[in-house]
Amino acid sequence: MGKWSRRAFIGAGVTAGGALIVGVAVRQGNPIDELGPLLANGENEQLLNAWVKVDTDNVVTAVIPHVEMGQGVHTALAQMLADEMDADWNKVQILEAPADMQYVSDSIGRDFLFPNLQVPALLEPTVAGGILELAQAMGLQFTGGSYSVRATGQRAMRTAGAAAREMLVAAAASEWQVPESEITAADSMVIHARSGKSEPFAAFARAAAEQSLPAKPKLKSPDNYKIMGQPMARHDIPAKVDGSAIFGIDADVPGMKYAAVKAPPVIGATVESMNASTAKTMPGVLQILNMGDFVAVVADSYWLAQQALNSIDTRYSKTEGDGLDQDAIFARYAAALDEAGEDGGDTQTEAGDAVQSFAEAATKVEAEYTVPFLAHATMEPMNCTAWVRDGKCDVWSGHQAPVNARQAAADAAGLAFEDVTYHNGYLGGGFGRRSDNDAIIMATRIAKATGYPVKMIWSREEDTAQDHYRPSATSRFKGGLDKDGKLVSWDNIHTHLFDPADAPTVPYYNIASHKIRKVDVPMHLRFGPWRSVDHSQHGFFIESFVDEMADAAGKDGYAFRRELLAESPRHLKVLDTAAKMSGWGNALPEKHGRGIAFVPSFGSIVAQVAEVDMSGPKPKVTKVYVAADPGFVVNPDGFTAQMESGIVYGLTAALYGDITLKDGAVQQSNFHDYRMLRIDEMPEVEVALINGDHERLGGGGEPGLPPIAPAVTNAIFAATGKRIRALPIAKHDFA
Amino acid sequence: MLLLIRAAALSSLIVLAACGADPAPGPVEQIIVREPGAAAAVASAEAPADALLAEGKAAFANCTACHTLEEGAPNGVGPNLFGIVGAGAGEVAGFAYSDALKGSGITWTATELDSFIADPAAKIPGTTMVAGAIADAAKRQAVIAYIDSVTAN
Ligand code: HEC
Repeated sequence: MGKWSRRAFIGAGVTAGGALIVGVAVRQGNPIDELGPLLANGENEQLLNAWVKVDTDNVVTAVIPHVEMGQGVHTALAQMLADEMDADWNKVQILEAPADMQYVSDSIGRDFLFPNLQVPALLEPTVAGGILELAQAMGLQFTGGSYSVRATGQRAMRTAGAAAREMLVAAAASEWQVPESEITAADSMVIHARSGKSEPFAAFARAAAEQSLPAKPKLKSPDNYKIMGQPMARHDIPAKVDGSAIFGIDADVPGMKYAAVKAPPVIGATVESMNASTAKTMPGVLQILNMGDFVAVVADSYWLAQQALNSIDTRYSKTEGDGLDQDAIFARYAAALDEAGEDGGDTQTEAGDAVQSFAEAATKVEAEYTVPFLAHATMEPMNCTAWVRDGKCDVWSGHQAPVNARQAAADAAGLAFEDVTYHNGYLGGGFGRRSDNDAIIMATRIAKATGYPVKMIWSREEDTAQDHYRPSATSRFKGGLDKDGKLVSWDNIHTHLFDPADAPTVPYYNIASHKIRKVDVPMHLRFGPWRSVDHSQHGFFIESFVDEMADAAGKDGYAFRRELLAESPRHLKVLDTAAKMSGWGNALPEKHGRGIAFVPSFGSIVAQVAEVDMSGPKPKVTKVYVAADPGFVVNPDGFTAQMESGIVYGLTAALYGDITLKDGAVQQSNFHDYRMLRIDEMPEVEVALINGDHERLGGGGEPGLPPIAPAVTNAIFAATGKRIRALPIAKHDFA
Repeated sequence: MLLLIRAAALSSLIVLAACGADPAPGPVEQIIVREPGAAAAVASAEAPADALLAEGKAAFANCTACHTLEEGAPNGVGPNLFGIVGAGAGEVAGFAYSDALKGSGITWTATELDSFIADPAAKIPGTTMVAGAIADAAKRQAVIAYIDSVTAN
């Protein structure tokens, strides 16, 4: 991956003339005026993203405004652009866009791509529907919400690619004096078959820049896709295999020193005093800082800084949270839910009369489920390198929202946004953790105090205990069946609502009366978006309760869900595919069980069937079958990997994930007490992909996760008759 | 790979971008032990007189990740090495040695130190000193001289 820096870019000797760049611009005065006030900083600013350039050597560079954290986004987005452009995939290069508001907010885009070019053609095709989503994702350069392919890719990369191709074709037509309709493009060549002429894109790049701008470039239909839908090899993999990939933690700044940090164990406390008499004498120590909300030691190496930090005796202020443990927090949740009763809380969706239909139901089921706090445990620990000097600041990290990180650093350094340069590396795991700015702010403050460049690395202990967590939560259900065992009443009330707002809802299930409410309860620890966010708990709550209702109806879990999805053929197909793959209904050995779960999220529909073996001392998940319909799969290999990794991450949490509190502080510290799934515990995963709607794409990063916990607990129920209503599974005894 | 982007997030960014917020607070307490590039205070007081000691001091960087050398400094991954030349193996108080080292019966003469630093595991199979070996004989000599000089001062 090309990493942007102005110096590196110029230094690479990129040609100063005769090249084409194409962008998708959003400007005041366009039909999409309503975006202006939302996105522009000032009245006269225009918003512009430039997405592709063609060099004189016929290399097509896709400029990707999203960060790579192992999800394969650089490759998938480049595929979308290259396909519409009819580019030669083997010659496509990838450049991550700089963390620069100017890049998205004024004409500097051209400066970034072509510092010396006089008047590049900045294309401004009007993007059709969904422009708001697009602009948000692009403008903020935010990578998350399983958003990149379905928003940026679908609406910007493809449009830019198609526009570039049309302009190249138009340029060739005028040069060759033939109608545009007779010209085709393939493998980065423009071709006129009748005359036998063909030339590389580069030959027309300059002329293309002078063509009028296609207002609405024609996008391909799926039967013409050549690169989209193919399992193209990931661009970032070779460097990750040979070790040359640069992650945030690999930042190497001449003269940099290292900082280790420790924040008060109880959130909200401050450092009252520190005794650093030993640390002062320890090898390599340069500075010892009490920053008020944390302590830092700066030393010649990270290890020496951490050793010295460990020797510091710190006193913290008292807080209201000092006495808390997780039982007290769950007791708070219970009290709030009790108080809400039948009508309290905030109603999210309601249809029919859930209270009355429950009262009249032939069979009534009530259940309460809980999930614990979860840490992100990214394999690359939190880190940030900063250098504040002479009214400027440089920051290096791996962040999901580079523009936000840059602003956070500016605020922490007391500088303007323009005075900060933010350098983004690969992210060694993001999962939402790297959308927070805490590490950026801490490192910038330390660097400001020292005046020289400092790389701050959190210890794993700090990483585990100072996360922004997936909230613990409680959810209560009342469900009613009519005399035929049909689900007619659904009443759910749960704690918290963060993102996405539809996570607790079940619009795809046909239930006559339903009511879904939430109550807000302080949860002591900080909230952080965690892979699939609220779906991570609601997938478990909803699909466990559906299973309980099926059981109460005396029906099979798969058959019961089929009835609920009877009017949604696209959903049904996904459910049926997973069931069929798994041989649903076939006999399993004794003490083995099969469980099914179905969770649409982030625009994709996913069903999973898990098989468990309960014959040993603890549950062993042996096999998972996945059927997924994200509309259209741009890269089947990458999408399959996302389903698999969603299962790794979700199964880790379902089996073991449990952040607990004692005296207000997180008790876990490292992988011995915050377990990851081991390779021998990883089930075999089989994935079937369904292209159900090529116009409305769904995401890949998150949707693989929510079904796994309930698929497994439902399988445990099938094998043992024991219903898991509180995660993690490891808390339960199966002896 | 998450977080849904909402209008709220968007507008808050723009607010931030528009007005420079106050800088985050600086240190409450800042202890500057030394400036980068300056020699460590303890070491500079005992600056080696000749080139051998200077080389030994530089070579001791191989050891600082695990060992302290100053009198009374705490044990790290390995024991404090103050006064090690001439001492018996496994005698530093409060350090959990391997049985292998503890039971080795070695007295740390310069020669014994030399073969240990050359290849700790060969000298004492089962030792938990798993890194820090120095292959270069001249460097070993220098580092031993340096360790001894610190003790002698
Ligand atoms: C990776 C950490 C590490 C490094 C680096 C390291 N050591 Fe050690 N060292 C240890 C440990 C651990 C022990 C205790 C070994 C045991 O108990 O078996 C030890 C023991 C020793 C001993 C024996 C101490 C005693 O009390 O008997 C000497 C001498 C020694 N190291 C010298 C050195 C020198 C000199 C260097 C640098 C050239 C060095 N070490 C580098 C970890 C290290």
